[in-house]
Amino acid sequence: MYKDRWVPTAIRVPLWGGTQSGRRTRPIHVLMVEDDSAIADMFQMQLEHDGYRVTVAGTAQVGLAAIAAAPPDIVLLDLLLPDRSGFELMTMLKHQLPSHPPIVILSNYGEPEMISQGLSLGAVDYLVKSRVTPSLVSRSIPGWLEQPREGPN
Amino acid sequence: MTQVAIIAQDLAAAGFAALGVLVSLQWYRKRNRAEGKLALALVFLAVVAVGGRLQDPAHPPLLLSAVEIVAFMLSGFFVLLFRNEFIPLSQTALRAAYGLLALSIVAGLVDITLATHAGGAVTTLLALVLIGAWAIFTGEPIVRFWLASNSLPGVQKARMRALSFGFAVLIAILFVDVLGGSALQSPLAITITQLLALAVVPVIYVSFAPPSILRRIWRMGEENALRGAMQDLLIFSPDRSTMAEKASVWAMRLVGARGAFIVDSDGSLMAATPGLDAAMVEGIMATRTGSLEGLLGVAGEEGSQIITVPLHLSEGPGTMGVIAGPFTPLFGTEEVIQLGSYANAVTAGLERARVTERIAALEKSKSQFLNLASHELRGPMTVIRGYVSMMEDGILGPLNERGRKAAEVMDAKVSEMSALIEQMIESARLEEGGLIADLKVTDLRDIARNAVESARPLVDKNHELTLKVPRRPLEVRVDVERSQTIITNLISNALKYSPAGGAVQCEVSAAKGEALVTVKDEGIGIAPQHMSALFTRFGRVMTPETQHLPGTGLGLYLSRQLARLQGGDITVESKPGRGSTFALHLPEVGAAAPEPEPRLADAETAFRQD
Repeated sequence: MYKDRWVPTAIRVPLWGGTQSGRRTRPIHVLMVEDDSAIADMFQMQLEHDGYRVTVAGTAQVGLAAIAAAPPDIVLLDLLLPDRSGFELMTMLKHQLPSHPPIVILSNYGEPEMISQGLSLGAVDYLVKSRVTPSLVSRSIPGWLEQPREGPN
Repeated sequence: MTQVAIIAQDLAAAGFAALGVLVSLQWYRKRNRAEGKLALALVFLAVVAVGGRLQDPAHPPLLLSAVEIVAFMLSGFFVLLFRNEFIPLSQTALRAAYGLLALSIVAGLVDITLATHAGGAVTTLLALVLIGAWAIFTGEPIVRFWLASNSLPGVQKARMRALSFGFAVLIAILFVDVLGGSALQSPLAITITQLLALAVVPVIYVSFAPPSILRRIWRMGEENALRGAMQDLLIFSPDRSTMAEKASVWAMRLVGARGAFIVDSDGSLMAATPGLDAAMVEGIMATRTGSLEGLLGVAGEEGSQIITVPLHLSEGPGTMGVIAGPFTPLFGTEEVIQLGSYANAVTAGLERARVTERIAALEKSKSQFLNLASHELRGPMTVIRGYVSMMEDGILGPLNERGRKAAEVMDAKVSEMSALIEQMIESARLEEGGLIADLKVTDLRDIARNAVESARPLVDKNHELTLKVPRRPLEVRVDVERSQTIITNLISNALKYSPAGGAVQCEVSAAKGEALVTVKDEGIGIAPQHMSALFTRFGRVMTPETQHLPGTGLGLYLSRQLARLQGGDITVESKPGRGSTFALHLPEVGAAAPEPEPRLADAETAFRQD
């Protein structure tokens, strides 16, 4: 079936609400690793509006520490971070915490090679920032959480 | 018959004597150390030949015989020293050679003092020692020269071979003479061997100082190859330094030099053949006597001859030079003229390469700029687009009627801008060759439907957008996303360039193994003179009717490139004032259509299924 490169795959599975929310006793925790505060603030605003709990990490180092301290339900990861790349963070996480939460890459880069690399490193999806709106990302989160993942759990 | 044999012997001796004299004169003009060794070898050979004719064979005077023995051995030994000049021997080999020289001279002296008392066997043995040593001195260089000549320019090759051949014949004659015994003492045999030896004289002479006619003949094959190489050089050299590199090798071959170099207009060394280094070239440039216009420069290390010719480059004069080697013929007017005309071709080539390099650099920086700019634009775009959508959703607070309208317009404009950025990125990636079609078998009708749907928001009340598809599925093997982009782009163009409104008809059809998507409008059309600019990058048709319409001129360029990437194309028919029809041609599955880069595409597809 036709799959648009920048439409999240999760959009095709049952959306937010219904049994999904009913089962949870606490809000879904989203960690956003993003150094551009304008973008982080915007996503935080939308996600909190939709009932998520949001933490923002401005560097890969802070992000890694946050994941280790209190694992979120899902990570939205930028690739171009001040200290190291998002890909490096993913590799480190694989070693340090094999059962880490699902990661969705949100990047300015849309090159096929970058997308391939991101997915092969285990990201559940790869989105080009300028092609998605915060509400689209917000609506896709439940689907990403449902997605079966490779590797040890 | 005896008389004939004597004449033949005299002739041969005279020939070798003449060879000695000519070679000495030639050497005197050049006074090159290496060639001096060869000249000495040939002079000693002449002494042997003449000495043999001066004595009475029955009662040889002892002193003359002794001189002859020494001269004979030295003639061989200097051939070895000559070889040592440019293919150096090891210390051990050189010491052994000196030992052998001493030993053979002693053996020779013993031979002539004992000759009257000892038997024939001893004499033959001692003679064999002499000739054996001589054969070693000359034989090793012969083989070495012959082997080395294979990789040399035409003129040098022919000279080395002539020298090897000449000395090989001499060795053969000597052995046959001594070992042949009485059978070869007949006047006929003597006549034949002496005439053979005489024939060697010119061969050895041309190896030492080939006349220009021979140089030209030897070069002929090279020159044909040169002409071909020159064409390659001028047309296909990717950059100046590669070109200079190749040009210097050919300059060397052209005149049979030892090395060649090219110096740029700023004085930097652009290229030098192996064996020449920057310091050496610097020295040559510094000691060069003539001005740039004076073609023939002289001297340099070891008194090598050097020709330098100017390269009249636009940035200033450069220099091309060749350096003579041991087997280089005396450089003459012939070589200078030839190198001069070759220099003109090289200059033209270097100039062209510079222009090409500049254009390539410009193209590259343009692509890089596009890429950088578009990636940098994506960041702000993300925020604007995000907040506009959140405004529309009311997340930022309730909007009044006017605010909602404004948000709507902003959303549309931001989408337009976003699409332009994506086009720029695609175009930059296309320039870098980084675009790979993601081919999949799909029903073309679905692609067209999606394209029409995504273009729907652009339709205003003046336009009517319709889609006509065949009843059966039409399977094509294409990059789905990019095909949809192309069709959407064609529809958006059709709407944009029919400002007065009218029908825009999108139709999917199949014909002659091709799948077609045509987009027909009733707009302003395209004048024939504007057709050529239509599909070029940034090529927008600017007329009073179109200049107010926004656009980057990337859309059709990209659409056609993307279509070609999938093995298809875009064609257009138009009548000014009546409208245009653009057709996207795609290879139909089942038809024997060539698949562009099938392996890459398969790899990509396979990966995506993981």
